Amino acid sequence: MIQSNAENEDPETLLWLGEDGQLWTRHAGANTSVRPVRCFPWSEPGRYVSLRDVDDEEVALVRDVAALKPEARRALAQALLEAGFVMEIEAILSVEEEIEIRTFEVQTRQGKRTFQTLRDEWPRELSGGSLLVRDVAGDLYLLHDPASMDAKSRKLLFAFLD
Amino acid sequence: MTAQALANDHRIIERYADQPAAMPPDLRSEIEARIQGESVLLYALADLDESLQLAETWLAVGTEQVAICKKGGRSIVIRTFARASVQAVRLEPGLSCNTLLVLGELGEPALARLRFTHRQRRAMENIHFLLEQALEGREVERVDPDVVYSDSVAAPVREAQALVAGNDMSVLFRLLSYLRPYRGKVAFGFFSAVVLTVLALIPPYLTGVLIDEVIGPVQAGTKTLAQVRSFAWWAVAAIAAAYAFRQLAAWARLRLMAILGEHVARDLRTELYEHLQHLSLSFYSRKKTGSLITRVTSDTDRLWDFLAFGFVDVSLAIIQLIGLAVVLTHLDLELGLVMTIPVPFLCLWVYFHGKQMNTLFLRAWRKWSRVTDVVSDTIPGMKVVKAFHQEDRERDRFNQRNFDVTEEFNRIHVVWTAFWPALMFAVRGMVVLVWVLALPRVLGDGETVATLTSGTFVSFLLYMVMFIQPIDIIGQMARIMNRATSSAHRIFEVLDTEPQVTDNSDAVTLEPIEGRVTFENVVFGYDGVRQVIKGISFDVKPGEMIGLVGPSGSGKTTVTNLLARFYDVTGGVVSIDGVDVRSLDTGHTRQQLGMVLQDPYLFHGSVMENIRYGLPDAGIEQVVEAAIAANAHDFLCKLPNGYETLVGERGHTLSGGERQRISIARAILHDPRILILDEATSSVDTETEHKIQGALDRLCAGRTVFAIAHRLSTLRRADRIFVVEDGKLVESGTHPELLAIEAGVYRKLYELQLEMHAPKAEFETIEGGKT
Repeated sequence: MIQSNAENEDPETLLWLGEDGQLWTRHAGANTSVRPVRCFPWSEPGRYVSLRDVDDEEVALVRDVAALKPEARRALAQALLEAGFVMEIEAILSVEEEIEIRTFEVQTRQGKRTFQTLRDEWPRELSGGSLLVRDVAGDLYLLHDPASMDAKSRKLLFAFLD
Repeated sequence: MTAQALANDHRIIERYADQPAAMPPDLRSEIEARIQGESVLLYALADLDESLQLAETWLAVGTEQVAICKKGGRSIVIRTFARASVQAVRLEPGLSCNTLLVLGELGEPALARLRFTHRQRRAMENIHFLLEQALEGREVERVDPDVVYSDSVAAPVREAQALVAGNDMSVLFRLLSYLRPYRGKVAFGFFSAVVLTVLALIPPYLTGVLIDEVIGPVQAGTKTLAQVRSFAWWAVAAIAAAYAFRQLAAWARLRLMAILGEHVARDLRTELYEHLQHLSLSFYSRKKTGSLITRVTSDTDRLWDFLAFGFVDVSLAIIQLIGLAVVLTHLDLELGLVMTIPVPFLCLWVYFHGKQMNTLFLRAWRKWSRVTDVVSDTIPGMKVVKAFHQEDRERDRFNQRNFDVTEEFNRIHVVWTAFWPALMFAVRGMVVLVWVLALPRVLGDGETVATLTSGTFVSFLLYMVMFIQPIDIIGQMARIMNRATSSAHRIFEVLDTEPQVTDNSDAVTLEPIEGRVTFENVVFGYDGVRQVIKGISFDVKPGEMIGLVGPSGSGKTTVTNLLARFYDVTGGVVSIDGVDVRSLDTGHTRQQLGMVLQDPYLFHGSVMENIRYGLPDAGIEQVVEAAIAANAHDFLCKLPNGYETLVGERGHTLSGGERQRISIARAILHDPRILILDEATSSVDTETEHKIQGALDRLCAGRTVFAIAHRLSTLRRADRIFVVEDGKLVESGTHPELLAIEAGVYRKLYELQLEMHAPKAEFETIEGGKT
């Protein structure tokens, strides 16, 4: 269900991927390209998705993605793939403490990656037991199930897990 | 940017990011060939592909063309399009995947859609800015694309840790170079320490000799007391002398090195603090104040600890272990080897125990920070906790974390309490082994004679105790060195930062400054190619008062920062009395420049000291006159100690308006030719504002003034008003002139503020009308 900020619109069907690869909707009588932002990216990824225009103003709020019509849902899901993307850690290869930073070398689903966190910044626990790590540049790394990782990764993570 | 800074950025990227420190040269020349020989203006790396896998795609912008180069294994695919076909550029942020969209005609497929992580964002933002400015018909100043790329990719790590760690030896040598001025004393301290170590080896040896040469023979009746008496007393005297000299050496070493370490720490603190005074404001906006304070205080203290004790202890432990091994194997090869061979293993054991403890401490530290988080959250916010009646929940939250951390600390206690007895048991085990091996040899088995004298055996037993301390120190060596190099690194990081604003050797002084201020096509950006000031020009006559108006983030404060030369312009010229500020003596110029800020900063000390901060020799008559002119005299008289009242750290004992009036008195006394008022009255109530305004009017008289204000009413006295928007000077003129501009920015702002301050009754009817 979408609640549009513009009146007299029926936005339910009006979400589509344009030729330019952007997500489009109808707003105030015109076609507007929008960018989806999940309000609850970790606990409720399928609910409350804010659709924002070029000036970062909300043009509509999707309260429940599942309630959308199939084509709109598909278009939104496609757009959310990129907007909601984070790297997913599969194994920890090394952790090295330095003076101000901590360097993690990891294998992610997207490939091998080396990143740094501040030494006094700790992985954040999400509901459901997964971990979220934020590096100095702001990139996010998700660790779905720390307990199911290989022994070496678990050992390297020992200090960061409860 | 200096070559040194560029090299440092390259090192950071190579060490910490999995990507090249610059676009590979062969790739760049291939791209330049494809875009008809144009040179690349800017480039960036898109590190995610369409399927959101980590990949290597380069985006390069030339003067006429844009090239996208996809690298996959050994294959390179280059695609180009003309910049003229670009209609819009979008940079869409995501959680970790940002998208740069280069759009052509509406409804057509995008010209380019590049996905990249936040690590590449600054480099991409530069390209976004360049293309966007081009669409608006503006050109961006030419920069070296390699420098801009490596600067933007290295920035996130560099801002957290400015230098690449790892080369500990060079850091250590650099630290030890601070001992050079004291090398005579260091040599003597070391000599004392060596003497101390060697002397410690003597008493056990002499004890063995006494047993073999005196006690044994006399008890066995092979020698008489008279025969050995003088030898025995000489040996005892030698033991006494060894102890005495040993303590003398210990005293000399401790005292010398403790004092010397203190000198080095002082030298470092002096150098560090002096360097901090010279560094530009841009440095302070990057670094956390707390982190800088600990560098001057606790890091230098840690280095004292290392230079006074750690450094010598570690060197001596090594000497002592080698000395013991030599003496023991010399006394008896078999027993000596039994004692020395396990030593390296014991050292390793201590080392690995240390590593295990590090991990445990890290875990405990993380959980401890959760406890302190709750405390530092709720205590200052107690009013909110109580207002929402959440005391029970806060108590439970704290209790859970408190129990959690206790468990962690107990885990640490379990480990270390088990370790030390185990280590001691291992050493004692060696002792037992020595007994087992030595006993048959001391006693003989009835047929063969004894091959080991009881004296040598006793010496052995005494030497064995001496192993424990150096094993402990060597095991902890890694930790001691680590602590010292970390602290040294943090200090050298500051010392190696170069001030960005420096005076030329032939800097001139203006005596006196008249106060003419000219901006000629000034362009400025804090980092990358993004400009905060996009070509501002104006000429302000001496004694003129200028009001600076505009939305927040428009660049008003940056204009005043450039005038005070806290930063140097990236393009154009800022001049005072017709002279470029870059060729002026900055110190001298700032003496004739005053500032009153929104949140005035008072130093710990008396009110009087604060008023004469810029002019420490001012007499009390001048101080009182300045205070009267600043409308501060009256409230100062009501303070318990008058002008000599201590204001506490940052002046926290005074109200905002009172602090502001003291800072105005400070500016009046300083008597500057050019005055900057940055939101001087925005954080006080209307009545106080009225008092401050009166003080400001007196302060402004006869000076060139730049006043930044949100409330336009405070700018009534301004001769001219400059409206700054998005880094540009969009309107300028007197208040009536600006009001006369239809749909002008100033007029709109003025009407908006008029509406906000409309009488209450009117306000209510509007509200009533709506509902």
